[in-house]
Amino acid sequence: MILHPVDTILSLVLLSVLFAFGASRLPVLIKVIAFQGIVVSMVPFFIGHDMNAGGMVFTFATLIIRGIIIPMSIYVAIKKVDIKREVEPIIGFHASILCGLGLIVAATYISKQLNIPSISDYKLLFPVAIALLVTGMFLLIARRNAIAMVLGYIMMENGIYLVGTTISIRARHIVEFGILLDILAGVMIMAIILQNIKRTFDDVDTANLRTLKE
Amino acid sequence: MGHFFLSILIILFGGFLSLVLARQVKLMRFTAVFFLSIGCFLGLMDAVLKLIQPGIAGASFRYLNVFSLAFKMDELSGFFLVIIFAICLIAAIYSFHYMENSRNSLRTAVNYFFFSILIASMALVVTAANMITFMLSWEIMSLSSFFLVIYKHHSAESRKAGYLYFIFSHVGAMFIFAAFGIVYGYTGSFGFEDMGSLPETAKILVFIFSFIGFGSKAGVFPFHVWLPHAHPAAPSHISAVMSGVMIKTGIYGIIKMYILLNLHTALFGNIVLFAGVISGILGIVYALGQQDLKRLLAYSSVENIGIILIGLGVGMIGVSSKNPLMAVLGFTGGFLHILNHSIFKSLLFMGAGMVLHKTGTRSIDALGGLLKNMKITGLSVIIGSLAICGLPPFNGFVGEFFIYIGGFKGVALDKSAFVMSCFAIISLAVIGGLALACFTKVIGIAFQGEPRTDAAVNIDEKGPSMLFAMSILACACVIIGIFPKLILWMPVKAVSALGLGIGRVPPEPFGQMAGNITLAATIFLVSVLLVTAIRWFFYRNKTITRSGTWGCGFTQPTVKMQYTGSSYASFILDFFRPAAPLDEDHPKITGRFPLNTYYTSHVNDIAELHMKRVIVNPILFLFDKLRWIQHGDIHLYIGYILLAIILLLFFI
Repeated sequence: MILHPVDTILSLVLLSVLFAFGASRLPVLIKVIAFQGIVVSMVPFFIGHDMNAGGMVFTFATLIIRGIIIPMSIYVAIKKVDIKREVEPIIGFHASILCGLGLIVAATYISKQLNIPSISDYKLLFPVAIALLVTGMFLLIARRNAIAMVLGYIMMENGIYLVGTTISIRARHIVEFGILLDILAGVMIMAIILQNIKRTFDDVDTANLRTLKE
Repeated sequence: MGHFFLSILIILFGGFLSLVLARQVKLMRFTAVFFLSIGCFLGLMDAVLKLIQPGIAGASFRYLNVFSLAFKMDELSGFFLVIIFAICLIAAIYSFHYMENSRNSLRTAVNYFFFSILIASMALVVTAANMITFMLSWEIMSLSSFFLVIYKHHSAESRKAGYLYFIFSHVGAMFIFAAFGIVYGYTGSFGFEDMGSLPETAKILVFIFSFIGFGSKAGVFPFHVWLPHAHPAAPSHISAVMSGVMIKTGIYGIIKMYILLNLHTALFGNIVLFAGVISGILGIVYALGQQDLKRLLAYSSVENIGIILIGLGVGMIGVSSKNPLMAVLGFTGGFLHILNHSIFKSLLFMGAGMVLHKTGTRSIDALGGLLKNMKITGLSVIIGSLAICGLPPFNGFVGEFFIYIGGFKGVALDKSAFVMSCFAIISLAVIGGLALACFTKVIGIAFQGEPRTDAAVNIDEKGPSMLFAMSILACACVIIGIFPKLILWMPVKAVSALGLGIGRVPPEPFGQMAGNITLAATIFLVSVLLVTAIRWFFYRNKTITRSGTWGCGFTQPTVKMQYTGSSYASFILDFFRPAAPLDEDHPKITGRFPLNTYYTSHVNDIAELHMKRVIVNPILFLFDKLRWIQHGDIHLYIGYILLAIILLLFFI
């Protein structure tokens, strides 16, 4: 079986997913997300259709925002606000990694079931996309640190991006860029909310938000 | 349609400008009122011209690519446009000084902004020519008026009123949607024109659904529950517009559906007449029991909607029993009352607004003796009250007179039409009597007698724009009452263009009746003047002593000796106890020297009571049981989202 270069790259993404499950400290998690962002943004180069000058520019812009600007801004945020470095898991790291493996298997199974013809060349693409989505969701649920939750959100977005690059061919860049701007705005808003949470509760543990309940 | 859209644009521009100029309070109020008035005036002129020179104008836009926004102006919409623009014009003028007390300039600006949207959307509702346009304008109207109701959003009472209004207007809209959905299911088009081709059972269902939907906007019993809460909560010029004009769009909807469905069965007439009788009688009974001036007026709107529906019901029965004169008289009476009610009800709300503005209270029992210091307001309110009681020579009489005549024409018919006509006449008489009791209470307690609390002492009436607006409306009440011919052509034209399938409407009886009314009113006025002159003549050189009202010859009279609103109303309310249960709270008086005591009473609205018991409480119970879902843990909330996505995946 000959592996397509896209699949080779995507295996790196899968690896980063497992790292994200095991990461116990925020800087590590941010680096993992940055790495994942760069790799995911490189996928369109290797898929190769519709790669004219405009497409190149768009993809590069995506890569820079996804791989550098967003992780950097979060990194600066945790430096500035002086947030605890632990991700404060609700589900322990070993159990998380086990869950992660289970998720990847389940994602592979589901993508087999869905069987989308336009991406049948790339065996790993759809499983990875689904795995990213579910992992992001998992981080949102299973980590109490708000920054870790933001990172989970970004990871979900990486998954959506992968699905987007493969399924939508026409007007792809516009859609992607729209999503990217959304995510950028989302990160900015979250940074502001985080500062407010920090100021109110002196911590960014989202379990504190329970006290806001009516 | 060009002028019409131009006036709408001017109105909206005025509202937008008030937001821009929110910082300069005085300038903002001036520009807003200026543009709203100009726009309304232009629209009014256009609508009147449309009525004089009939000819259907239409316009259609294709902004939403699937649906077209279509507007059409015929005589019916022209008639309603006259009311909308005329009353909003006067309300806008009134608001100039009414809003001057407002501390928060931004809130005033927002109020003007939504006011302009409300005017525009009402005008669009009555000109909409397909279902999509209609519902769009209808929803904009409901929402903009919702924002006007929660003007005082810091008070819990206002928020509750707004909430109630929001629920009612949207449940009502849901019924209208259901009616339109049935029509769409049969015809497959959003146009109004194809509605006539429905099978008969579907037509009946559509009519009943839309009657409930439009009735909840118009305030038909038992869907009126929002009305006495929402109308007092809004600023008074908004209450005037809502009570005088906005609820009439519900009536417009009912008329429009009746015409479009083109099914002349006696059932529709009976439903409308019966609903009218119930709303009329119970509305005025509840009004009688209120202590809050604006709440009383809101309940009286329910009563007047009842009278309008009685008129329309008489008209519909006339159509179904092939009696053109009865039909035309009933419809004309109903239409006239729509116009008249919008005049005197907005006048009364403006008067109540002036009282509220100067005394700071809406409670009738806290007032008293206002007439001594508020000459113009008092006189206008007295005129408005006489008009609303349907007494000649004021305008309220004219509309009711036509309905009476229509009813008497129906007495000559057989079986059910006879019974319903008698029913209509008797209930109209009962409503008239109760209305008189209700408004003598307002005048007698609030405007006459002596001030009951400090709030009513040493007040004045200032605000030229407010006085101007009220005087105009009061004059309109008198002039229309004496010379009904001046406006009679408008409802006659609107009715004759309805296309009821009864042939040409004979105009002769109307001219004759209007002439008789004028003659009678003139005789009445002359005799009043004569009596005044005689009184003046005999009292010329005699000493006239003045003392406090309700003094009763005591040397040390106190204001507490006066009748209160509750005591005045109690003997009538006792009779209606089954329909208007009374909650009373007062400790038993014991001993020879009793301590300070108190008495509070509250008239319960049975619609509200039963709605609470049958609908609200079970829903609250159910949702109380589901409270554990909202636990405040964000992680589990995200878990819910994940669960929902996974569940959805199974269905795809």
